[in-house]
Amino acid sequence: MTSEFLEPFEQMLGEVFAPSAVRAIEAGEGSAAAMQTVEQSGFLDALVAESEGGAGLSLADVAPLWMALGRHAVPVGIGEAMIERATGDNEAARRENATALLHAALIAGAAGKLLDMAVAYANERVQFGKLIGKQQALQQNLAVMAQDVVAVRLAVELAASKGWPETAQAAVAKSVAAEAAPRIANTAHAVFGAIGISAEHDLNLYTRALHRWRLAGGAETLWSRRLGEEVLASSQTAVDWTRSLWA
Amino acid sequence: MLGCKGPARKPKSESTRRFRSFPLFDTLTLAAIPPEDDALRGKVRTLAQEAVADMSLAERSRSWSGFDAGFSRKLGEAGLLGLTLPTEYGGGGRGPFARFVVVEELLAAGAPVAAHWIADRQSAPLILNFGTEEQRQKYIPPICRGELLFCIGMSEPGSGSDLASVRTRAEKTEKGWLLNGQKIWTTNSMHSDYMIALVRTSGTSDDRHRGLSQIIVDLKAPGVDIRPITDLAGDAHFSEVFFDNVELAEDALIGEEGGGWQQVVAELAFERSGPERIYSSIVLFDAWLAHLRSVGRDDPATTALVGSFMAKLSALRAMSLACTGQLAAGESPVVEASVVKDLGTAFEQDLPLAIGDDLAAHPDEAVSEELQDALTYVTHIAPSFSLRGGTREILRGIIARGLGLR
Ligand SMILES: Cc1cc2nc3c(=O)[nH]c(=O)nc-3n(C[C@H](O)[C@H](O)[C@H](O)COP(=O)(O)OP(=O)(O)OC[C@H]3O[C@@H](n4cnc5c(N)ncnc54)[C@H](O)[C@@H]3O)c2cc1C
Repeated sequence: MTSEFLEPFEQMLGEVFAPSAVRAIEAGEGSAAAMQTVEQSGFLDALVAESEGGAGLSLADVAPLWMALGRHAVPVGIGEAMIERATGDNEAARRENATALLHAALIAGAAGKLLDMAVAYANERVQFGKLIGKQQALQQNLAVMAQDVVAVRLAVELAASKGWPETAQAAVAKSVAAEAAPRIANTAHAVFGAIGISAEHDLNLYTRALHRWRLAGGAETLWSRRLGEEVLASSQTAVDWTRSLWA
Repeated sequence: MLGCKGPARKPKSESTRRFRSFPLFDTLTLAAIPPEDDALRGKVRTLAQEAVADMSLAERSRSWSGFDAGFSRKLGEAGLLGLTLPTEYGGGGRGPFARFVVVEELLAAGAPVAAHWIADRQSAPLILNFGTEEQRQKYIPPICRGELLFCIGMSEPGSGSDLASVRTRAEKTEKGWLLNGQKIWTTNSMHSDYMIALVRTSGTSDDRHRGLSQIIVDLKAPGVDIRPITDLAGDAHFSEVFFDNVELAEDALIGEEGGGWQQVVAELAFERSGPERIYSSIVLFDAWLAHLRSVGRDDPATTALVGSFMAKLSALRAMSLACTGQLAAGESPVVEASVVKDLGTAFEQDLPLAIGDDLAAHPDEAVSEELQDALTYVTHIAPSFSLRGGTREILRGIIARGLGLR
């Protein structure tokens, strides 16, 4: 099942943000040309209401696009621009919450990419006369990595499923994603060994991005605090509180 | 406008949402409880609150180990058991989401559910899937009434994770089957009417998955000896079960002779995929939240800790519902259930440790004896959460296979 928007979006990202292009932008060679292509695609108005000339997509529609940005380690603020264009001057809180969800979605995308890369490499690299992926220690670590990747994706889908997220809803996604991000990056690096550390290897485009998005706008502690404040201010049980958050 | 040429059309959000930018586990996707199933909540909650009214916090923390046959019969009378089973066998004719709601409410309250737990969760679905019409008629209606109690006879002293190595043997006789051997860790066997046992019906342990079958053992039959084992908290919820020339009728065989392995794998998907795998410490979590609220503690370290667990709970509940959605669609989410169970049990195990550390860091706060007892109990029993139903390492092996590494 594909979406009519995700495919062209991914295709554009593949063309504009190939790993070499991402590296060039990171090296300070500028992103104006890339941004111009994105601007022309119209995707920056994805969240703008149809009545105002946008596509009028919901956050649930856009979250997969954000994950795609993560999957390509896109180093410029496309998601941020989408949010900026769809919010007014007096909507700082709405913007902040959506941005936390964006960062969680970026983490989800890059994390999925890292899992794919790590599994593929484990099925390719031979040491001690067999694939490293046949070593139980590595299999167990990759299984844990997969769990984190799935949990982050579900937390993002959940937080994107109810329209523009309330603080506590955004906090669920960002707290889960930010806490898992370093574990995911570490396992990916562990599987690849030294080669993943070298500048020219693509792996670290995604692991470095994970760390960046984890910290941007507050990591797990900040967002967990916001969530915890609301929980303690209520009188509901844990299950009821969770249920009503997503009712 | 998207794509700049031509007007942007709004996509069917369904299709956008279902697309995954990465293919792994894309079967696991958000699922919502249908309103008619969620509507069961009030009824369950009332019954659960009644049942726990006189129970201590530590007793309620026993979660799905708490045994009260009378309460299970009440649930049966109220139509809250066998919800996934067809009405023609006395079931609710609903599905896994209805069971999710009931189980969530019962566990959140700390209600004593052990009496019907295993029969409702896995024995009845197994009998429905693999049993003959007579077996279905005989066993399923009383299970739905909460009257017939089952236990799971998989593990043996020499066969834990390596389940295919079981040595308990059922020999074909003229009248039926002759059973010899031993099971262990059999939860609730001392209260149960029947055990569904995985046994060898042909070949030897070397034949591994071939030659295994499932047998319904009448635990009142001569030659069955049940000896309870006391656990580290002083409870006796499981036992050793010995079979010494136990004679069983022909219809004790459930499903296909030699098909035991496939059946047991299907059974384990039911066993592993329910919400019980995230809620074992939920009574303690609520008691801790109540404590924090009553002492008015809301400093940044505390709120961060509370928020971190609550964020995980939200995500885990969404994952567990996603699994339930797969069950509802008739799938057998073996890998997905392993993902949720491993993450869920880690959550359940982290809670008592963090709560203990938190309370110990605030020696000035009065902690009720009840909370202290519940904390001690859950702390000590928590290692079992990632043993029962398949160990952490085995689950990770299943996930690794799902990743294509094995
Ligand atoms: C509270 C509780 C209730 C239970 N109720 C029941 C019940 O009702 N019915 C029933 O049949 N059983 C029951 N069990 C038993 C349970 O299913 C087993 O404990 C479990 O399958 C593990 O078997 P074992 O204890 O023999 O450990 P072992 O299999 O001996 O494992 C010991 C350790 O070795 C590891 N290990 C084993 N094999 C591998 C491998 N291939 N790769 C990596 N690591 C490995 C395990 O992960 C574990 O860490 C219950 C257990 C508990 C704790």
